[in-house]
Amino acid sequence: MCDVQGKLIAWLDRELPTAEANEVERHIEQCRECQRWVATYGHVSETFDAYCDAVMVAKEPRRVSRWVPVLASSLVAASIMLLVLLRGRVEPAPVLAPTVATASAPVPAPSLAAMPGPRKPTMRRRHAAPRVHRRATEVQPMDTAIEIAIPAEAMFPPGAVPDGINFIAELRIATDGSVKQIRLRQ
Amino acid sequence: MSDDSVPLALPLPRLSAGSAEVTKLYRELRKPLLRYLICLGLSNDEAQDVVQDAFVSLQRHLSSGGDQKNIRGWLFRVAHNQARNRQTSYDRRFGKTLDGGMDFLADSATPEQVLLRKEKLRRVAAAIQLLTECERECLLLRAGGLRYREIGEVLGIATSTVGDTVERAMRKLAEKCNV
Repeated sequence: MCDVQGKLIAWLDRELPTAEANEVERHIEQCRECQRWVATYGHVSETFDAYCDAVMVAKEPRRVSRWVPVLASSLVAASIMLLVLLRGRVEPAPVLAPTVATASAPVPAPSLAAMPGPRKPTMRRRHAAPRVHRRATEVQPMDTAIEIAIPAEAMFPPGAVPDGINFIAELRIATDGSVKQIRLRQ
Repeated sequence: MSDDSVPLALPLPRLSAGSAEVTKLYRELRKPLLRYLICLGLSNDEAQDVVQDAFVSLQRHLSSGGDQKNIRGWLFRVAHNQARNRQTSYDRRFGKTLDGGMDFLADSATPEQVLLRKEKLRRVAAAIQLLTECERECLLLRAGGLRYREIGEVLGIATSTVGDTVERAMRKLAEKCNV
């Protein structure tokens, strides 16, 4: 075994002082055994490096499979379709516009009980309780207005007013069915 | 041992915290640090955390006007100590089988070559387990591009001891691996 053999790795790593490195280099050029050891150490270093790289690759987070985005988008599409279908099954909330009815006199004033009261919206949705509650408040019916045409001769003695004159009584019905306002106009 | 150290690819003027040089240093040393920590036995996530913490510590070090002679060795030392704190049993995990990690070998080789290389790495893994903790760490830091003096600073041992340890470890590997 050469005396220089203990310095071969330091020489490979360029850790020897210049003079000593030159001496080792000259020796290696002549010594077959040291040449073989230098080659071996070179291989060991490379293999160790490759091993470290392999350890690093082994511990890297796994790559996401190419099917994952496809599956994810399919799932999203299916969810959207399901949502649309469910929404379609919910009966649309009624929008209550003011009802204007014109009746010709002499017509007895309609009883309040017979009037259409505010209609409670029917909800068939099952799973979105808070949403149902919000919708119920959104569709509060507006006041119902009724116009009644009253001939003037029905209110005054015959001849007191010219023929063909009518009065219009406009009734506004509150949500609880009571008469909120009565306005008489000609 | 010679005292000349291989300079970083990045020229290191006076670094200041938050400077562009620190960002370059991060880009240059992040991967070697990660590899070192992962090979010590940390998980990928742990290693990422340790590297980030090490660079945060570097910022503090620079802000407080700390020594800038050997930033690379300093970073490895900080990372090494943090890894020690996090992972007390990393030596048992070092060198575990790598069946899941050799896929990259198949990129440019025939199946026979892949098999041979896998076999060679398995032999290295088995041989590494026979090394002492200090020998493994010396080889890892050497593979990370550190000079013997820097390795000595990281591990807290003399430069001459590093030379002897590296030489002994390499000889053991050469004998066990038959490469």
